[in-house]
This record gives sequence, C-alpha cells and structure tokens, in this order.
Amino acid sequence: MTQDPGSIQQIVTVEAAGASSLDREAAASRRTALVRPVASLLLLAVIAAVLPLGLVVVNAFTVAGKQPESYLPSVFPPGPREPFDAGAVERLGRGQPAYIVIGNSMAGTRVDPRYLTNLIGKPVAGIYQPASASAYWYLAYKNWVVASGIRPRAVIFYFRDWTLTDPMFRLNRQHLDAVALEREPELDRIVAQHAQGAFFRVHAWLRNAYQYDRVRTWLLPLLEQAPIALAASRPKARRELLGRMNNEIFTLEGLREMAAADIGEADRERLDFDKNLPRSVLPELLRLAKENSTRLAFIRVQRRPEGNRPPTQSPELQEYIRKLKQFLEANGAYFHDEWGDPELPLSIYQDGDHIRRDKQRHTTRLFVRRNRGLFQ
Amino acid sequence: MIFHSLTFVCFFVITAALYWRLPHRWQNVLLLVASYTFYGWIHPWFLALIFATTFVDYWSAVGIERWPAHRRRFLWFSIVSNLGLLGFFKYFGFFADNVVAAAALFGWELSRPMVDIFLPVGISFYTFQSMSYTIDVYRGHTHARHGFLNMMVFVSFFPHLVAGPIMRATNLLPQVERERRFSASSARDATLLIAWGFFKKLVIADSVGVIANKVFALADPDFYLLWAGVFAFCIQIYADFSAYADIARGTAKWLGFDLVHNFDHPYLATGPTDFWKRWNISLTTWFRDYVFFPLGFALSRRVHEGKRFGLRADLRIYAAATMLTFLLSGLWHGASWNYVVWGGYHGLLLVIARVSASIWRPRRRVRRYLRPFQWAGMFALTNVGWLIFREPELSMIWRDLWLSPSQSTQLQHHAGAYLFFLAFLYSIPLWIQSLWVRFVPSDLTAAVDRDEPDVRFGRVVGQGALAGLMFAAILVLRSYTTLDFIYFQF
Repeated sequence: MTQDPGSIQQIVTVEAAGASSLDREAAASRRTALVRPVASLLLLAVIAAVLPLGLVVVNAFTVAGKQPESYLPSVFPPGPREPFDAGAVERLGRGQPAYIVIGNSMAGTRVDPRYLTNLIGKPVAGIYQPASASAYWYLAYKNWVVASGIRPRAVIFYFRDWTLTDPMFRLNRQHLDAVALEREPELDRIVAQHAQGAFFRVHAWLRNAYQYDRVRTWLLPLLEQAPIALAASRPKARRELLGRMNNEIFTLEGLREMAAADIGEADRERLDFDKNLPRSVLPELLRLAKENSTRLAFIRVQRRPEGNRPPTQSPELQEYIRKLKQFLEANGAYFHDEWGDPELPLSIYQDGDHIRRDKQRHTTRLFVRRNRGLFQ
Repeated sequence: MIFHSLTFVCFFVITAALYWRLPHRWQNVLLLVASYTFYGWIHPWFLALIFATTFVDYWSAVGIERWPAHRRRFLWFSIVSNLGLLGFFKYFGFFADNVVAAAALFGWELSRPMVDIFLPVGISFYTFQSMSYTIDVYRGHTHARHGFLNMMVFVSFFPHLVAGPIMRATNLLPQVERERRFSASSARDATLLIAWGFFKKLVIADSVGVIANKVFALADPDFYLLWAGVFAFCIQIYADFSAYADIARGTAKWLGFDLVHNFDHPYLATGPTDFWKRWNISLTTWFRDYVFFPLGFALSRRVHEGKRFGLRADLRIYAAATMLTFLLSGLWHGASWNYVVWGGYHGLLLVIARVSASIWRPRRRVRRYLRPFQWAGMFALTNVGWLIFREPELSMIWRDLWLSPSQSTQLQHHAGAYLFFLAFLYSIPLWIQSLWVRFVPSDLTAAVDRDEPDVRFGRVVGQGALAGLMFAAILVLRSYTTLDFIYFQF
C-alpha cells in the first residue's frame, strides 16, 4: 500500500501545529505560573520600601520635624544638643596658662598639669577628654583657647600614630557638643570630604528619603530611659541614675586591665599621608596658630611596647610619621616622637597604651627633659 | 567580607543577578568565584588554606573508593590534615602558653615561641564540613565525587562559610550538583529571612552587646550588674548567631539552596537535652554523629556490665561519651579554658538530666505542671553557662558565681536592674517570635521561619508589612556601635 506523500505532509503539519500549540500553552501556563510569584515578590519589595516612609509622617506631627540643624550637617542629623561649654573659655582667660596640653587619655595618663607647672615654673592647663580625637582637639583649640584671647607660649597635642589626619576617628557628638559652636562650617567642610563614597551617598539618600535620623534623635533616648522607671522607685534616684552610673560605676578606674589597645593597626588608606592631609584638621589648626602667634607642638606617644622592644612599626607607618614630621616642622610646629624611648618600658604601662597612674610624674618629667626646647 | 556591609549587599546583588542568567555549570563556576572573593576579601592567603582543605579531602575520598584496602589510611590522612590545620591556626598559641605554664610548675623555664598566628575566620566551620565528607564516604553514606569544581563549591559556599550552619555532604553536595531553578516565592521568603536576620543583628544583638561589653569590662562588677550583663550576653549571642544563620539561609535560598535550620528557639528549652536539640543544631548533630556515637560505640566494647558508682553500664557509657564530646565541643569554640569548662558544664547538665530521668520520670499530667519550672530552671542554667562562656578568666568565673546580692550598693542594684530591663526591652521581638511560633504556628510571624510555596496575596502583604517594619526599625533603632558576629572568632 502506498500513501499519498501529500497526506503524510498534512499529518506532519497537523501534528507539528498541535505540538506547537501545546508548547505555546505550556509556555503560557509557565508564564502564568511565574507571574503570581514574581508579582508577590515585587509587592513585598514595594511594601517594604514604602512602609518606612511613615517616618516622614511621624516627623511632620512630632517635635522631630522641628529639630535644629546640627553644627556638622554632613554627618550629624538635626537634633537636640548639649550646650557649648562657655565656662571653659572663661576659666582659660582667668588662668592665663603659658602652656596648654590637649588630648585624650594618652595625654591624661602621661602629663600631670599641676606637676608640670611646678617643674617649669609657668602655669599649665590640660584639656583632656577621654576617647576624643582630632576633631575635638581642633574645636577645643579654636573655640576655647583662641576664643579666650590668651596667647600661650605653646599648645601641645598628644596623639597616636595616624589619628591627627583622620577627623572621622571618634567623631563623637557626646564630646563635641561641649566644644562646638552653633555652626562649624570649616570642620563640616573637612568631614564632608570623608563622607563622599558610595556608602555615604547611599546613607545620605536613605536619610533624606526616610528622615529616620530625626525620629532616632528622640526615640532612642526615650527607649533608653524607659527602663529607669522600673529600675528605681524614688524620683531622685531615677533622675540621677544614668549620670551616677557613668560617673561612679563605668569609670576608667573601674575597668579591668586589658593589654590590647583600644585602637588597632592602621590600614594603608589611613597611612596615606599625602591623601589625608588636606582632608584633616591639621592645616586649619596650623593656620589658626599662625594667626594667633601661638606655637603648636605635637607629641606622638609611644604605644605599648612588645616585651623589651618598642612596638613594631610597618614601613607605611614609618613613612607616614616621616612625612608628618616634615610637614609640621616646615610649618613652624614642634614635633617629638616618643617611639623607642628607653625610659618608656613595658613595666610603666597599665592597659593598652595608657601609662600607670603612679608613673605619671615620671612621664611628666621625661616630657620636660626630652622637650627642653619647648620650654625655653 | 561581612554581611552587614554595603560591600556585601552590592556583591550579593551582582552575584544573584548574574547567577540566574547562567546555565548550571557556569552557575557553579560563578559560585566558586564569588565564594573565593568573599573569603579572600580580608586576606587572600586564606584561600590557600581553604583550597588545601578541599584538595586533601577530595583526593582522600577518591582514594577511599579507589583503593579500598587503604581506605583507613586515606581517612586518617584527611582527619589528621584537617585537625592539624585547625590545631596549628587555632590552638598553637593556647597549647604553647599552657606547656610553658605547666613547665613552670615543675621549675623548668621554657620560652614561648614568638609566633603570632592570625586565625583565619570560619576555619573551624569549613574544616569540619569538609572532613565530614571524607568520613561519610568512608562510612558509605555517600560516594566520592569526581567533579573537583562541585567539591570546591561545597566547601566554600559563601552564605554559610564563616559561621555555619555546618552542612553535610549528603545534603549540600546534591544541591550543588543538581540544576536549580529560580523560584520567586522562595526568594520572597528568603528576603524576609534576610530582613529578620539584619534586624536581629543590628537592632537587638548590637544594642544588648554594648551592655554586655560594658559589664564584662568592669574589674569588679557586683551581683546585679553581673547578671544583667550575663542576661544581655544571653540575648546577644542568640540574636547574633541566629541572625547570621538567617542571613545565610536567606542568601542561600535566593541562590536556590536550602541550608539546614541551626536554631529552634533555644530559650524555650525545658531541659539540657531539649536545649541542645535547639541550639547550634548543625554543630550539635555533627558532634553527635562523628564524635559521640563512635566514642559510645568504642566505650561499649570496653565497659563491663553491671553497676559501678551506682550507675548501669549504659549510663556510664553515656556519661563518659557525653562528657568527652562536650569538652571537645567547648574547645572547638575557642582556644581558652573557659570554653572547655563551658563544654564540661553542659556535658554535666546532660548527664545529670539523663541519670535523674532514669531514677524518676513524672507522669504526663505532672510534667505539664512542671514545664514552666523546667523552662525557668533551664533558662537560669543556660545563663550560668553563658557566664562561663563570656568570662575568659577562670578565677573571675569562680568569684562571680559566689557573688551575693547583699554585697551590692543601692546604686549598683538600680544600675543592674536598669541594664536588665533595657536588655529585656530590646529582646522583646525575639520572645514574641519564639512564643508566636510555639503557640500560633501557622501565622504571620512564623512565616519568617517557614517556607510556604503557594502565593496568597493577603499573606504577602503581611510579609511586606513585616519586612517594612523591620526595615524601619533597622533605620531608627540600630545600635550606634556595630559589633562583629560573635561566631566569626570561632
């Protein structure tokens, strides 16, 4: 039996048409099966992104929307602040110190201002703020020392390794409030240069879109204060609890000793002196000092020794310090590096890079001996 | 690279976007490149270690199958290599210090070798995972693989690389080998899981972590402050570790993988055995299968029948195997004696629970009334364990355990109560989630923990609202201080 080739062709065509229609149906059903889950995923994303916009509404109806701008709008959101400490300006004006030491606990554990006054026979003042860094030191110098109208013979800054050229390091609002004026455009310009990467751009975009920082300024303190009512029954105890906790329990003396320092090794980025210098407070500090005919001195503290040896320094850190010294001296500032001083052995260190309290006089004397040029 | 960084978010979005456009084999190539980038981000030389581990275990498994007469040698080669690597990088300093200290007791002065060894993150996790593959091949639970690429992906799969959960070859390798298809509903659940993980990490763990760090930094904390700090740490470690596990599971889900649950609301446990069925499940089951069972089996051939110390032979075997397993598990957590003591403490709790259960087993009705007390008791015991875990100085642990509330001043009392309530306030979402899952298993909050492939738009809206709330909470309530994931150090 022979079959008409045309009919075979017809059968094949019909089968092919049937198969392709089946394929189309299958594809359509696959698409339908995909549409709902994909739509559900998109819906979830949209709801998750839109819901936090409610924070903007919250701001419109609460005090959060009327918060004053901060003195560093590039990095700090609007919100209430502690008042500027004008008393410090007055105290400095009254005391007329010939030397002022500015720093954090590195300076605080190394130099006793009263003892130094006795040693050199001229009044010395110390502006010590634990856990502060270059932004605080700059504002303290500008808004306290310069504003007081005094002309000290030298203002001495104690610092560790790279901290002078990183204004973002410990940029802590809790400390800065006391030394910052209503606006700090110069410091804001400096820190804004550090807030320019992708991270900061995303952060700024989110902050503007959701205005969450404004809610944060009142909600977080509220949350942190809520348990006080459960913890203390008497109103006076409640009012004083947080202050007393900080001043009587969580003090520096109450902490256990730890060999590890509170700052780690610097990365390459931080040790790039040429890149970081224009983005630091250093040029501005030196300009102010020049304007006010005050000599600035910078003392690099020796960090915790390793056994009988001074702490290891990477080649990058050595290069950084060399350039820092060169820059400071070229701009009329005094520079001293404690690194490798044989009179700073491990035995006089307490925890981290701090000096033992009973060795503070030793390091004060050593400071005078090593820096005679500064006191003549 | 860490999960809670913009770098990781960008890395993951790019990886996931590319991944679903590739065929299966190239997906695995991309996973390998992504995983090695993820792991080598901090120190590229970490890659040499993970590659060495993979290489050794791959060829050991192949050797076990190809030369059955020498299978035991290949197994030991794998075990010794893995444990040797782990021992050198994690325990060298610890053992050197202890040898020097022990020699000093006998009047010998040894100088400690001045070698500073940097602990590669996640080494404890991936060596255990990789080693379990060789053991499973040896035991015949799985067969040796001949695709080195798949093996490399199995060992280095980035979502769970640095802090688990520890996956078994029998579970993860087949997922690496088979074709994966994008599922939007799975991605939806994964997104919620990731959001929940970030919320737990950035809002809860980091906030209460600050409290714990402050208290444990004190030289001489009183009773109230200490236990407030311990409670804060108890919340921190669970929120932190389970957050990592959730983000790991969520990111893996986005890539079409299912990682095992590592936590099952451990603070609802009513006894030590129950706790270990709920806490770090992947590690507990690893130790059960590869340490406890072989030890128990080996001991059963040596222990004599009949009672000794008032205990039947099976209880004595259980006690010995449990104690050894938990001491090792403690040591796995870190090169410090407090971890060993912590392991021993939990081992002891398990043994006591088992022995007491063999002596007295209350009726079902009584058990129901006992449950709240059992829960409270186990929660208190867990906190004692966390004190041991968090406090590296053994002398301080001893001192802390003998503290009395009567020695505290009123200020310390108030400060301790304040910190406790503050930590509790931050932990409320955890408790709500745990209790919701316990009592209302099929509802909205449970969705965070459960996969439901079907699409119900009402539920999706609920999930979206939940994700939005978590996002808003992260923006507003995240801690000022960002801490590393605790289990990174292990």
